[in-house]
Amino acid sequence: MEKNLAGDSIPRPKWRKVAYGGMQIGYDDNYTDESFLEEMVMNANVVRRDLLKVMKDSVSISQYLCIVALVVLVWVHTLESSLDENSLLLLDLSLLASGFLILLLTEEKMLSLSLLLRYLVNISFFTTGLYILAPIYQTLTRSISSDSIWAVTVSLLLLHLFLHDYSGSTIRAPGALKTPNLTSCISVNASIVASVFVASRLPSRLHVFAVMLFSLQVFLFAPLVTYCIKKFNFGLHLLFSFGLMGLTLYSIYALHRLFFLVFLLLVLLVNVVCPYWLIRMQEYKFEINGPWDEAKLCFDITD
Amino acid sequence: MAEPPKLRVLMVSDFFFPNFGGVENHIYYLSQCLLKLGHKVVVMTHAYGNRSGVRYMTGGLKVYYVPWRPFVMQTTFPTVYGTLPIVRTILRREKITVVHGHQAFSTLCHEALMHARTMGYKVVFTDHSLYGFADVGSIHMNKVLQFSLADIDQAICVSHTSKENTVLRSGLSPAKVFMIPNAVDTAMFKPASVRPSTDIITIVVISRLVYRKGADLLVEVIPEVCRLYPNVRFVVGGDGPKHVRLEEMREKHSLQDRVEMLGAVPHSRVRSVLVTGHIFLNSSLTEAFCIAILEAASCGLLTVSTRVGGVPEVLPDDMVVLAEPDPDDMVRAIEKAISILPTINPEEMHNRMKKLYSWQDVAKRTEIVYDRALKCSNRSLLERLMRFLSCGAWAGKLFCMVMILDYLLWRLLQLLQPDEDIEEAPDICLCHHRGVEVSEGLRKKIK
Repeated sequence: MEKNLAGDSIPRPKWRKVAYGGMQIGYDDNYTDESFLEEMVMNANVVRRDLLKVMKDSVSISQYLCIVALVVLVWVHTLESSLDENSLLLLDLSLLASGFLILLLTEEKMLSLSLLLRYLVNISFFTTGLYILAPIYQTLTRSISSDSIWAVTVSLLLLHLFLHDYSGSTIRAPGALKTPNLTSCISVNASIVASVFVASRLPSRLHVFAVMLFSLQVFLFAPLVTYCIKKFNFGLHLLFSFGLMGLTLYSIYALHRLFFLVFLLLVLLVNVVCPYWLIRMQEYKFEINGPWDEAKLCFDITD
Repeated sequence: MAEPPKLRVLMVSDFFFPNFGGVENHIYYLSQCLLKLGHKVVVMTHAYGNRSGVRYMTGGLKVYYVPWRPFVMQTTFPTVYGTLPIVRTILRREKITVVHGHQAFSTLCHEALMHARTMGYKVVFTDHSLYGFADVGSIHMNKVLQFSLADIDQAICVSHTSKENTVLRSGLSPAKVFMIPNAVDTAMFKPASVRPSTDIITIVVISRLVYRKGADLLVEVIPEVCRLYPNVRFVVGGDGPKHVRLEEMREKHSLQDRVEMLGAVPHSRVRSVLVTGHIFLNSSLTEAFCIAILEAASCGLLTVSTRVGGVPEVLPDDMVVLAEPDPDDMVRAIEKAISILPTINPEEMHNRMKKLYSWQDVAKRTEIVYDRALKCSNRSLLERLMRFLSCGAWAGKLFCMVMILDYLLWRLLQLLQPDEDIEEAPDICLCHHRGVEVSEGLRKKIK
């Protein structure tokens, strides 16, 4: 309460949050009222996460890592000629059949015969096209040294893993809502180019066809299959993931001890260390909202 | 015999005439009123096209158009130390005592404030816009602002909401931030001598047609209002990327005779467009302080605006109808405005505006801020560096290094060209009460 010099205790008028009328009597321009920052809202939209849920969600990531590791294993075995083309073709066919089966069993939408027929037609076109183009892939990188090929393949695979869309699937069943964004398209392209590079190192046309078919099947359709399993039943998804992890770890162990250790550490990092780290960092989250925010339009702008 | 000027102020910003806008207007009018109060004001900005060198504007306002090219959105290319020599020359030449920077988006302003602090001058900063916190651009901008304001003497914001926003973004203490609003030139924005007839109610919109100014809201609101009120017509002035959407809306609802699109309206013609209307519609999604609605109120128009940012503080409740930035609410607000329109008297509104806002009042309040800044104690380099360290774990140390390098470069410049060698410019004595103007006759190239 300001008292003027004459000793009259005329209280100064209440401070108002207005800009007009010049300087408010009795208050300096830098006066800070108690209502300062009253309308600030902190952390309004922040999702509080639970450690167990985050660990369960991170299983999707390690599952995909295992799938990619298995693909690389098959490539290594084929390049070392420990896996011949006939068994590879058998592998392809079995994968195709099992993938189809899983899709049929888990798809809740109507499984009309025409849709199935359309899928079969697409697959046969795809396979025929690959078979015809196999000679091109075989001679594609003949003039490039092997070291460059391995280096490029590894970097492309890393790019693919970084940009992959782990929450959904880039290749969607028809009628799906979410359109793929730029990074997931880049990751799919990176994986396809990596498979082409590896396939071009193989001796015969049938080899090339078998490996290309295998790689493309996995990279393009495995995310869709795993997404369908996850949507169908989460327990089944967890079981499937752990099974895959076991298979991958066993296969890598048979190949090379060091890689086995590295892969094991990677899986532990993704599944245990990273969730814990995320939960610890949550307390630093500071999201500020207030009357100064730009207003959000509540309707969609249709151009 | 004119007494020597009491304060010698350098206004620095990238945004000045011949560019038109809120910041430019603010600097110009504030400078003019400070000149009338007897202080000396010099403006520093970057060259606009061929306009480079020294110009004199009304009242003896000296403007340095420094030959640096703008690179994006009228801001100069940030070279951090490149502007040190020219800023030093201007400060010594004009014997400046206070440096006043405008607008957080202006790189020239930040650099000049940094150099002025290194050389020991007192520094004041005015922030004219609101910024967010969440996107990448805002995060970097806020860090730069934190650096600039870590060592400042006083800061000014144009509305209370803007003060809250600036304090949160820069970490300044609220006691250092003064709230001084913009004002409007009521002599230029007078209502029409004959009020247009209210048989046909005209709603005027003058803004850049961009997303930020709510052009999409206009596209939703205009057809609805035209449907509900057959005697309402719209006049839309301004241009921008959303112009196409508005044209499409006109075609779709066949409103060619009820919605008039004027295109870009030069600032000198804004008043003539405003006085043809009864209601002014402002649909911005964010505003620190909206000068457009002041101009409209000064011309006697009732304002309908979105309740965003600092807009609720700008006009008294009986001069403005506020709405949420939602088409339905805005239509309701326009309905309310149309219903209270008969009670509005433009002349009375204009006279009220003359009492509520004036640039002379703004200049007096700014003078108080300058005096406060001059009273701030001088700080040594080490004490100043301590303030920068609190900006962040890595950023603090980086900022300290930047300032140390600036200090060393300044000392080097002093060695190469001692302070005494910089020629001091004589003050031009203008007789204000006779209103003598010096036009752009004097042009000197800056070495």
